[in-house]
Amino acid sequence: MDRECVLILPRVCEVLAASGSSLPDDTSLEKLLDWFTTITQTGVSLLEACPCLRDFLSNVAFNSTSGPSILSFTLKLAGLIGASEDGFKVLEECSVLGLVFDPRHWQEAGLWEDPCLRIGWIQGLKTILQHSKALRFFVQAGLVEPLLHLQTDSSLFVASAANQMLAHVLLLCESLSSVGCNGTKERDLEQNSLSMETNQNCSGVITKALEYLNKCLVLKETSQLSQSQQILKLLTQLLVQVRTPLLDKLLLTVIDSVEELVTKSCSQLTLPLMDVVLAANSRLSDDHDPKQRIGRLLSLMLSRNYPVDVIQAAAAWLRSRQYDPVHTAHCARVLLLPLDIVTGISLLDENSTAEELRILMTEQLKSKTCFSMICVCLTNIPQITLLAPDCLPCPQRRIVSAVLSLLKLCCGDTSSSSAGCVGVFRFVTGSSKVQKCSMEALSALSKSPEVEILLPEVFKLLTEYLNSPSSDPSVLQKSYQALINWIGVCTDLSCITGLLREDLIQAVRKRACDMRWEARDSTVEFLGHLAEVQSCRTSAGEERQPSNSLLGGCSFTVPLLKEALQDLESYVRASSISALGQTLTFSWQQGAALTQDQVEIVTRLQEILSQDSEGFARRAVVKYFIAWFSSCSSPTSCSLLVQSVPTVLSQGVADLDWEVKLHTLELAELLLDQAFPDPAPPHPYAVMSDQSHRSHTQDKESELLSSLNSLVDWGVISALFCFLVDCDRPVALKACQLLLKLRHTVCPLMVSAADTRVPCELPGWSWVHEIRKIQGVNKDPHTQGGSHIGSEARGEAVEESTSAEGDSVCVSVCEVLRSLDLDERLSILTQSSDHIYNSPLSLLQDIITASTANSHPNSEPGQEVIVDCY
Amino acid sequence: MKLYCLSGHPTLPCNVLKFKSTTIMLDCGLDTTSVLNFLPLPLVHSPRLSKLPGWISKDGSINLEKELKECAGRVFVDAQPEFCLPERELLDLSTIDVILISNYHCMMALPYITEHTGFTGTVYATEPTLQIGRLLMEELVNFMERVPKAQAATCWKNKEVQRMLPGPLKDAVDVWTWKRCYSMQEVNSALSKVQLVGYSQKVELFGAVQISPLSSGYSLGSSNWIIQSHHEKVSYVSGSSLLTTHPQPMDQSSLKNSDVLILTGLTQMPTANPDGMLGEFCSNLAMTIRAGGNVLVPCYSSGVIYDLLECLYQFIESASLGTTPFYFISPVANSSLEFSQIFAEWLCHNKQTKVYLPEPPFPHAELIQTNKLKHYPSIHGDFSSEFRQPCVVFTGHPSLRFGDVVHFMELWGKSNLNTVIFTEPDFSYLDALAPYQPLAMKCVYCPIDTRLNFHQVSKLLKEVQPLNVVCPEQYTQPPVTQSHRSDLMLELQPPPMPYRRCSVLSLPFRRRYERVYILPELANSLVPSEVKAGVSVATVSAVLHSKDNKHTLQSVPKPPPVAPSKKRKRVIEEPPVTLSPKPLLSGAVPLEAFLATLQKHGITEVKVEETAEGHILHLQAEDTLIQLEEDGTHIVCDNNEPLRTTLRDLVLRFLQKL
Repeated sequence: MDRECVLILPRVCEVLAASGSSLPDDTSLEKLLDWFTTITQTGVSLLEACPCLRDFLSNVAFNSTSGPSILSFTLKLAGLIGASEDGFKVLEECSVLGLVFDPRHWQEAGLWEDPCLRIGWIQGLKTILQHSKALRFFVQAGLVEPLLHLQTDSSLFVASAANQMLAHVLLLCESLSSVGCNGTKERDLEQNSLSMETNQNCSGVITKALEYLNKCLVLKETSQLSQSQQILKLLTQLLVQVRTPLLDKLLLTVIDSVEELVTKSCSQLTLPLMDVVLAANSRLSDDHDPKQRIGRLLSLMLSRNYPVDVIQAAAAWLRSRQYDPVHTAHCARVLLLPLDIVTGISLLDENSTAEELRILMTEQLKSKTCFSMICVCLTNIPQITLLAPDCLPCPQRRIVSAVLSLLKLCCGDTSSSSAGCVGVFRFVTGSSKVQKCSMEALSALSKSPEVEILLPEVFKLLTEYLNSPSSDPSVLQKSYQALINWIGVCTDLSCITGLLREDLIQAVRKRACDMRWEARDSTVEFLGHLAEVQSCRTSAGEERQPSNSLLGGCSFTVPLLKEALQDLESYVRASSISALGQTLTFSWQQGAALTQDQVEIVTRLQEILSQDSEGFARRAVVKYFIAWFSSCSSPTSCSLLVQSVPTVLSQGVADLDWEVKLHTLELAELLLDQAFPDPAPPHPYAVMSDQSHRSHTQDKESELLSSLNSLVDWGVISALFCFLVDCDRPVALKACQLLLKLRHTVCPLMVSAADTRVPCELPGWSWVHEIRKIQGVNKDPHTQGGSHIGSEARGEAVEESTSAEGDSVCVSVCEVLRSLDLDERLSILTQSSDHIYNSPLSLLQDIITASTANSHPNSEPGQEVIVDCY
Repeated sequence: MKLYCLSGHPTLPCNVLKFKSTTIMLDCGLDTTSVLNFLPLPLVHSPRLSKLPGWISKDGSINLEKELKECAGRVFVDAQPEFCLPERELLDLSTIDVILISNYHCMMALPYITEHTGFTGTVYATEPTLQIGRLLMEELVNFMERVPKAQAATCWKNKEVQRMLPGPLKDAVDVWTWKRCYSMQEVNSALSKVQLVGYSQKVELFGAVQISPLSSGYSLGSSNWIIQSHHEKVSYVSGSSLLTTHPQPMDQSSLKNSDVLILTGLTQMPTANPDGMLGEFCSNLAMTIRAGGNVLVPCYSSGVIYDLLECLYQFIESASLGTTPFYFISPVANSSLEFSQIFAEWLCHNKQTKVYLPEPPFPHAELIQTNKLKHYPSIHGDFSSEFRQPCVVFTGHPSLRFGDVVHFMELWGKSNLNTVIFTEPDFSYLDALAPYQPLAMKCVYCPIDTRLNFHQVSKLLKEVQPLNVVCPEQYTQPPVTQSHRSDLMLELQPPPMPYRRCSVLSLPFRRRYERVYILPELANSLVPSEVKAGVSVATVSAVLHSKDNKHTLQSVPKPPPVAPSKKRKRVIEEPPVTLSPKPLLSGAVPLEAFLATLQKHGITEVKVEETAEGHILHLQAEDTLIQLEEDGTHIVCDNNEPLRTTLRDLVLRFLQKL
């Protein structure tokens, strides 16, 4: 621990104990506590390291004039100290323990009302309850009752913390009693009696807690719904965590009450009840006694006659991924039932679902609740598609047909669902919520087996949606996604007729001119994604890209995307740039010659990079060049790319957006990697003569030199140097890492100095200033006669440029690399930018300063910041 | 109360309401869809149209070569287009007292009603309705008169001949009543009968009813009407809109508590959402321009075009259409654009506030200033020298049968780069395009109809809760093509009363009350007596004076003091003897108490018989019957006046006298 902190801590304790009201900034107490926690985690005893804390605790405890937040802090601190057996002993000796954790003490002082204090009490106790002594204290002080009382506290935070605490207590009891049981014979009598006492304590606590749970579960009146929900949540938590003997006991205690709740069928409790049942079901193995009862409860939940509840329960079962062929098949049928009723496409085998449920659900679907039922059904279709065929009542192809039919209903077309439920039509017609869910379901169904045959139908419907004037932009986006998914899984697109293709082209062309930017954006994105879809086979058996066979390829896409580069909305511009990258990747990989279009695009992109006011578009431009460079088979042979990269780098350096800068660094990294590819590992048995070694080294050096020169020419080196002093930490960090990499590669081999100097021009003197700042030498370079980096001893790393430009600086790359202490720089940059302000010392100083400011008579009370932080 | 339905077109209504001795015509819409049966009137000689073959029946028996021409498998009448007028035989139009106009689209038949029919009444309309209506009429007359056609086609209207004709012509109804367009003189004369009213202004009609226009939110100056007497209220809802476009929002609350609500002018495109259509319009426009084509928008010169221009104003920039010229060609283009800017009080709140800023309410002013929008009275003159392609042209008439649009259809129809975008919902676009087939030009149909849809109207009716609803029969069943769409019809309890052309409906409510005024001095003389808590009754004797549908109770004039004249007077000159009226009785005779009283008076032998209306008491000794009924008591006894009087007085004991 920091010496300075130790010195200052007693003063802080004094301040805290003395401050009657809470500190202006509650978070400082939290931070202080965090700091103490980290200290204890390193294994240091808190009281030994900071003996003043003991006095602080007793001061506050016996004084009780402090504000609730200080008291809360004290309770938590007491917990932290008492968590170790030694600390616990000390606290017990100074009789602080009994006092601070006695709820009656606080009730008498009128402070228990404050939720802040109750939270402190709970968390303090939770921390302290790590060992049997603490448990003994917990039992003897009679703290079980207050804890149970807090389970349904009026404050949600308190109730939730109390729930966790109870789970913690039970788990502790469980672990302590299991240790006790396994006690070995060698243990002496005293220890035996101790463990017996612990066992008694444990079983006492467990019995009380279980009784309480059981009592609270039973729903007496509907006003207690939230209480039941809370207890069910706690129960789920316990069921997931506790182990067998306790698990059985827990289940035996509560199962009757749970069963009662299940039979009461209260809609609001469906989900928490289902969680309990599912948790129990998953924890029990088949030979367990209560397993069958839980199974019965599960069946009960899944066969209730309330359509909304039963659908929710079925969805919960499928989501839990538990395997039981009977339940799973049943749930799949329940979830498919709304779709079956609405569309009239029979998805369920005869007699499979209770006729009663069908009638009830049909009625329910004719009201506004149909939205939630249909949407739950649709959102769970991805789970249904994962089921084994024998759990499904029909082939997945039929589900696709039903979803298609529902989508048609949504736009007023009932031709395919003549047997459907007419009462629902008026609700689903034009509902974009149902449309969105259906589109997502359709996307998920694309991966189903044997659905390819439906592709033309899906394609036709999606094109209609894309063409429809009433489609919401979000629906359009989902339609595009579904289309991509379906095209992606189909190996043969020959079934798409020319007419359908023409419709799609029309739709895309129209949406690219849509009034709503969201629609334009999705369209442009679609074009990009389509270009990335794996190629598929045409009827003639040749491999073709879907974008070619559907839209006519680049000749259609590129002009549209070029147009979108002019869009008023920056998101659309950014998306069109990315889409262009995705579209052209294929031709870059093939090394195809550049078209006039591509040349124009590059010019336009450079304009965007230098002029666009929005960061998104500029970031996309840099990424475009990254994509181009990385997919190009031989970047250096593409003259346009070679010409544009230096411009991109220099503009990236000048950009104000830190993400643009970071992307620029990625481009620089690509160039570095290309210049210095990872050397192939030498053949282990290769014998190398001294002669060849020397010539090899020389070759290598000259090779490096030329690579380095080319990097300087690209502008990579100057960009890295500039970024190193960037005000954005992530940028400087990345630059520093890349420079280190460069140094590792270059410097060891280039020892022969003078004649291998590689000059590099940097944009300005300001850079030298920054470098000087880094090195802590604050001398004006102009007064030095010459200009040097760092100390004079480091040599002439920097020379004033002889050119007339005046403001640019010429440096020698290797020398700068050596002279800069990059490792030190890296360690500084790796620390978070606020590491100084967040240090414990500054925290302690802050508390003292705040208190003096507070005690100052002129301080304004109105400026207090009250943070609600339990 | 009766409703005479003179038009079967749900959005171009013409109904006559007879209500309390007044005869009120509600709108006089002109059904112009009949013009679709005629050949277009080209502004410039069109070789294509002039070379169309004449029609001869297959067996050659009927030769109407001169009147009918064939084009792309359909037959068109080659004559000046004619309109289908409102029914004129159902009732005598000269008896109409007033005509209420709800918006400028619903007044195009006005000259046919007010001229040459003996009409002597008044037409009520708001100022924008009158002014813009005048523009539309002027435009229509101009379109027709610019391309005069001497020839009139009448032979095809012969019933025997019409039966033999193909296609839609055969099924056209009432073709004999179709009329050519009116003249400017008739327009002026008709419009001179218009009296201007403002929203919520109350106008008395002969003291019998009060009429008042309410904002309907559909177009500039568009209104719904309230027609009410003291105890009855009829609401007339014509084209109304709840969307936020340029006009003042709809006044819904004033429609509450109506006895009858006559509902017309719902959207003609219930499945097309105006916002979606506007988006469709813009993207198709941009798509065509980008591909180097021209866009033709056949439209009326007022109404939706303001919203289209406003929408385009915002869209031009984002779609980089900044350099594309927009042309608005109409004989009244200039007036329409300028008028819209000066009707500030009729605009939506948003636009009203702009009046206080140095900017015009509609952004089309800026489009004109920056030369992006140019307007011309016709394609002749300045336009030809300024015309630049690719461009966007807004011009009429949306039927594509007359007006400058005919020229552009001929000019651009052959290239598939060009697009015609239909935004007006009044005409079937396929029918409109029929005489231009075969057509290479792209056609896009985005009808923008901002009038109420069924969802909105059912919400509105739930809110205002009229006792009865009357509507065109088309609204009581789903559209023929979408018979399952129960959401595309009115479902009300009680069901609405449907009407069709020539229906005469007796509206289902009876007038029960009439307001009568009482003069103060007469009121002073009344002596009210309380019959039950809060209800007092007084008798009044007065003279009822009725004039101009106002009824007043006046005191009975006192007989002039008898002059101390000894002259003999003739008997008839003697003032009538005013008898003081007998007191009025109220209350009921309680049976038990009455029997007890009878007994006291020595009548003991009473046989009581219960009847449907009350009781019959048979006084057996006296051989007398007393019938006690809810609204009357009869004592039947023969020649025993003293007994009758006694019995009467006994009965009177139980009753209150006024």
